[in-house]
Amino acid sequence: MIQTKNLCFKYEDEFILKDVNVEIKEGSFTTIIGANGSGKTTLAKHFNALLTPTKGSVFVDAVDTKKDALNARSKVGFVFQNFEDQLVYSIVEEDVAFGLENLEIGINDINKIVDKTLTELRIDHLAKQNVNMLSLGQKQLVALAGVIAMKPKYIVFDEPTTNLDEKNKRNIMSIIKRLNKDGKITIILITNVLNDLKYADYVIVLKNSSVIFYGEKSKLSGRILKEAGLNA
Amino acid sequence: MLRRFTFGQYKDRNSVIHSLDARIKMIYVIVFGILSFAIKSKSGILIFSLFVLSLIVLSKMSLSELIRNLMPFYFIFVFLLLMYILFSRNQLVLGVIYIWRFLMLIIISLLLTYTTTIQNLIVAIEKLSKPLKIFSIKPRNIAVMVSVAVRFVPVMFIRFDKTRESMLARLADLRKIKHIKLLVMVVLEKMFGSASNLSDALQSRLYNENLANKKILRFNKYDYLSIVFILILIVIIY
Ligand SMILES: Nc1ncnc2c1ncn2[C@@H]1O[C@H](COP(=O)(O)OP(=O)(O)OP(=O)(O)O)[C@@H](O)[C@H]1O
Ligand SMILES: [Mg+2]
Repeated sequence: MIQTKNLCFKYEDEFILKDVNVEIKEGSFTTIIGANGSGKTTLAKHFNALLTPTKGSVFVDAVDTKKDALNARSKVGFVFQNFEDQLVYSIVEEDVAFGLENLEIGINDINKIVDKTLTELRIDHLAKQNVNMLSLGQKQLVALAGVIAMKPKYIVFDEPTTNLDEKNKRNIMSIIKRLNKDGKITIILITNVLNDLKYADYVIVLKNSSVIFYGEKSKLSGRILKEAGLNA
Repeated sequence: MLRRFTFGQYKDRNSVIHSLDARIKMIYVIVFGILSFAIKSKSGILIFSLFVLSLIVLSKMSLSELIRNLMPFYFIFVFLLLMYILFSRNQLVLGVIYIWRFLMLIIISLLLTYTTTIQNLIVAIEKLSKPLKIFSIKPRNIAVMVSVAVRFVPVMFIRFDKTRESMLARLADLRKIKHIKLLVMVVLEKMFGSASNLSDALQSRLYNENLANKKILRFNKYDYLSIVFILILIVIIY
């Protein structure tokens, strides 16, 4: 479980997160929704200790992220909004292997895991391709592969379908759903599209740095979404 | 845009040259590089050229790929040739030979990057530069730095082009210093943005500079064969 307690955060003078108290339950599919600039990415970066609270605290499996960043990082994978920037190596299979190298997995196992992950995402034909030559949808899949291969317990997907066409969108969303249902991975999906609420068990609604709703999806009302500036 | 920056890109082919050990290929590049300038006799140069040609064939590089890769050097060649024509009276033949040697050198380094993945090149650099450890330079850092550079230099060119186009679309005049400055600043800013995103991504994927590269390079029969073959070649040329 990931838990925030009175989490407040500011980059400079202004608070970007104010008194956030939420929980991400194990095995759940939690969607964070809010308008541009509401603080979604900033909140999620606290889950894997890329950011630590200015006030309050964040716990990943009961360990404070301020005390043990590595614990948070190895448990919470992150697929970034700007996935273009998250590819480190130029060749697809090498990039997917990057995180596995860092986990100090043996080379033979790395190759096996990379093959398996690429096949799962149906991009095994891209294994030897140069990342720069890929389409946006393909790059996104490679970015996913790099994180999925590491088998984290939780994965944050930061607006994973922005800029993709319908077909790619559906593909990515069905992969994420599958990871949750079959892979038993806890999913944190960040979005500003109401349609993406479809798969959620739990929803966190952010507006101007504050959580205005947190709970089961069934309890979420159109009024709250409207208040958050999302057209219902 | 990117198509213009194809120099030195790896292509996955099933060839003997591809299967050679990255370390030995790097050493060969140095040896051949010296050779291409050290050979004195014309017949030596001819044999060497034939040898380089056979390397190209062996590596399964197509003619169009070769040309595309050599395109960026076209200006340098023309420039060098022009210099010879202008400044060295009646030494045109010498000029052509000189440029030819230069061309061989470029093709040889091209063959290295064409047949070796960056990953393997980096492992080779790591292994061959182990002595650097004395200066407490961490091989893993070098490795990742090289990869990141290889990955993001083309990205920079693409961004440069895109920014230039979007500026032109809004009627910027790129002869004006002010607009050139703006272009450079915008691209730099984007690259800094990428660097900060990249640093987040590295941390998220548990980057650790103290790791030793576990990739093992091993000699195979072709590596040993190639050593014998190249020694014979050197003897023939001299
Ligand atoms: N590195 C930073 N330094 C200063 N301010 C920042 C930084 N990153 C984000 N902010 C500010 O924090 C606020 C929330 O940003 P955040 O990226 O979390 O929003 P978001 O909900 O993810 O938006 P979007 O949907 O556009 O991705 C914004 O006002 C933004 O300007
Ligand atoms: Mg965001």
